Amino acid sequence: MKRKTRNFYIYVNIGLLGLVPFGLICLARHERTTTPRWAIIQDMDKQPYYKPQRPSTLFADGRAMRPHIPGTLAQQDFIYVNQAQVRAHPHNWAKGHVVLKNKTLYDSVLYGQKLVHGQGQWLTHIPIPVTKRFVERGRTEFNIFCEPCHGYNGRGNGTVNRWDERLRKDGSPDAGTWVPPSDLLGPGVKFLSDGLIFNVISNGVGTMASYKDQIPVVDRWAIVSYVRALEKSQKVVPVSKLPYPIRHSLKSLPAKTMGNGKKK
Amino acid sequence: MSERPFFVFPKWSDWLTKVFVISTLIIPIYLVILIAYGCSARTLNVNYAPKQPVPYSHAFHAGKLGINCEYCHTDVKRAAYAALPPTQTCLNCHSLIAAKSRKLQAIRNSYGTGKKSLAGLSVPWIKVDDLPDYVYFNHEAHVNAGISCLVCHGKVNEMTRVYQAKPFNMAWCLNCHRNPAPYLRPRNEVTNMSWTGKNKVKLAKDLGLTVATLPHNLGKYLMKRYHIPSVKLLTDCETCHR
Repeated sequence: MKRKTRNFYIYVNIGLLGLVPFGLICLARHERTTTPRWAIIQDMDKQPYYKPQRPSTLFADGRAMRPHIPGTLAQQDFIYVNQAQVRAHPHNWAKGHVVLKNKTLYDSVLYGQKLVHGQGQWLTHIPIPVTKRFVERGRTEFNIFCEPCHGYNGRGNGTVNRWDERLRKDGSPDAGTWVPPSDLLGPGVKFLSDGLIFNVISNGVGTMASYKDQIPVVDRWAIVSYVRALEKSQKVVPVSKLPYPIRHSLKSLPAKTMGNGKKK
Repeated sequence: MSERPFFVFPKWSDWLTKVFVISTLIIPIYLVILIAYGCSARTLNVNYAPKQPVPYSHAFHAGKLGINCEYCHTDVKRAAYAALPPTQTCLNCHSLIAAKSRKLQAIRNSYGTGKKSLAGLSVPWIKVDDLPDYVYFNHEAHVNAGISCLVCHGKVNEMTRVYQAKPFNMAWCLNCHRNPAPYLRPRNEVTNMSWTGKNKVKLAKDLGLTVATLPHNLGKYLMKRYHIPSVKLLTDCETCHR
């Protein structure tokens, strides 16, 4: 072999060898690793302070965060303003703040009860001004927290219930002791007072768990309002049965707002 | 006859030229490219998928069952930190369904129905998407500004075991902080993993508008509506580092 050709092949081989590290990196990029990144320079990435939900050796339970002391409330959970201010600043709800004017309202908002002759009675109304925005908030929260069991329409056939039915059909032992959730539009819930529904969401009933740690107080009331709205939506009357003035006013509306019956 | 030059490199010294070119040009350039590629955030950070104490599958719970992200990560709209759920949340369903499953041993231990020595202790979940300690990320601010979970965490509803989907380096953060408009969506679609914004009717409903009055440029419109600060403030050091 000529010297020039030999040199050429040597260079090509060295060049190809040089591509090997790139290939290895390429593989590494597409592989899941169970070990965290390896850093030569730490760059103050890990500092001696506690982020939320991190472990600590200081306390016996191994947590850096301290749990709620029973019977106490965090300061930011409660702001005392009057209801007019609430209407002006509905974003307070987003924070889960309970807005309380006085002791009576405090009991009613927090526990769904009022004192009648020294005895607790379930509220028959929602102690927070119910606006369209409030009910819409209830829908959002309902679709997050209630939908898995009770379903979007409240009929008690949510995704988790359907999955359990499937497990049961397959004869899987995982189906467990699941009880189909109650129909929120049936008489069982319809005749409950608002305060009692609030209490069920807060503290659970039967196999239903307590949701007071997952849903802030105001959102729980919003859900109650949405459940009521769902109930109302079931009372469907055909247009022909409506009194004439209403029927007439409906017909004069443009087709778009009436809904043309097509699914989008 | 001309005068002889003072010094001439001998013929054998030709190889020095080659050595010089290779050592000062080719090798450094090669090393720079190799290190930049090998040590890039994309290579180092992405695809970190630690084995968790419970083989919880987001692909099943969030994907197949369609449980909303917020069912477990309840605080995401209200707090800086999107908290992991307490053991109680798992047991909302798992006290009834698959209550005896071997995979849920760590959950039962934490709840107090398993090993007595571990009762009341947290499940030792391992954090996947972790930012450096000098960055103060706020979930509340981002989620309420219409930034989807998807933007930072990837398609979690398709992950059997959660892995880090994005590099989480500063250049990547700034990508969006310099031009947030294309990443925005209506607030109530934040946890929707399949949102495209192409369904005009749905979009109008989300924004409380009608199809006819939909804004031409959704990103710009949402910037205004959600009061997203100027790029100058978004790229200020103090916005993320205190």
